[in-house]
Amino acid sequence: MDDKRRRFESEVMPHLDAAWRFARWLTRSAADAEDVVQEACLRAYRGYEGLRGTDAKAWLLAIVRNCQATDFRQRQRQAALPLPESHDARDVAAVVAPGPDPERAAMQRDEARQLDRLLGALPPEQREVLVLREIEDMDYRQIAAILGIPIGTVMSRLARARAALKLRCQADVPGSRA
Amino acid sequence: MTCVWSLRTQAYFDAEVDAPSAAALEQHVEQCVECQALLADLEASRALLRRAAASLTAPAPLAARLRQGLDREAPAPVRSPAARRRPPPFWLGVLTGLAGAAGALLLAAMLPLLRADPLLDELVAAHLRSLMPMHLIDVASTDRHTVKPWFAGHADVSPVVADFAAQGFRLVGGRADYLDRQRSAVVVYQHGAHLINVFSWHAAAPRLPASTTRSGYRVACWTVDDLGYCAVSDAGWEELRALERLLQENGE
Repeated sequence: MDDKRRRFESEVMPHLDAAWRFARWLTRSAADAEDVVQEACLRAYRGYEGLRGTDAKAWLLAIVRNCQATDFRQRQRQAALPLPESHDARDVAAVVAPGPDPERAAMQRDEARQLDRLLGALPPEQREVLVLREIEDMDYRQIAAILGIPIGTVMSRLARARAALKLRCQADVPGSRA
Repeated sequence: MTCVWSLRTQAYFDAEVDAPSAAALEQHVEQCVECQALLADLEASRALLRRAAASLTAPAPLAARLRQGLDREAPAPVRSPAARRRPPPFWLGVLTGLAGAAGALLLAAMLPLLRADPLLDELVAAHLRSLMPMHLIDVASTDRHTVKPWFAGHADVSPVVADFAAQGFRLVGGRADYLDRQRSAVVVYQHGAHLINVFSWHAAAPRLPASTTRSGYRVACWTVDDLGYCAVSDAGWEELRALERLLQENGE
């Protein structure tokens, strides 16, 4: 393994889960997400020289999003995909790592399904900003860089996304506050 | 009806405001029922999302397939042995000497600039912010085996973490701060009534003075390999130096 590959393995590969989760919510399909992440990582690797010192995770997520956008334009089949509301359970079952405790695994599957349902109901631009902030723990500046929008837009979009999520949660579980 | 402070409250929740704004906001929230509810909502929805997403990891075959793809990418060009053996021409030595001299001059000219590194202000601001209510620690523990692994998921570096209770420096916990455009790891120690924040981040070369003061706070900096360390506190110099020595000696 040469030096570039070694550094890529230690700096970029640890963010593979994040890249895949992000791609999954962008494409709304586990299979498409894998293709996008594969393409994004290869692209990242080709342009990898001289990354040292910058934020590898935000950088990789930005490439994932670019790849997804290209993919989307090429195929134009996103619109025809069903919303995750009607997506098959296979996706979720396949992605939740099986643990030793079946009860806990079932609970995690339920939570993951609920998450897909809640996020799937949001408009894409609200979903991505919410995922980047809450799940991938990116700060405003990183989100602005990944999405190519001003920080002010990040803030207003995030506020709208959070308000919309709260409404969905209340509709989802009557009487609960989230 | 939405409170005009709601975006600021959100920014506060996302740890995106500086210390003075945070203080002003906390005052506002004390009186604003709406922003109190907003903070509770934000907390609840974050907890829900993080819990639900915690189990989502990339399928194992993806990583394997990706590594196969990486293996197929062209390796970095290797210089031929002939090119490596050829002695460098004499003018290369002359040029290197000149470049070195120019570099030294430039460094001398930039020294005053280096002394006023904005990173110093960032460090002291982060220290001040940490002293505000609810900001000091993300992971509260006196056990280094709890604090150190926590950094793996929350910061870009893995610093030395140790409890020096016997020497008077009690480990209080850890925190991640955004510093010098990266997620730095902060280890918090307590010495008597003084709190000491020990920041650590990726630093290619030492760029901060070994000791300085800012706004009355003492700042001690040192470097271990490619990690920059910086202790900020209102404790005395002797205490800071003692902690620095302990940390240097305990570096794995």
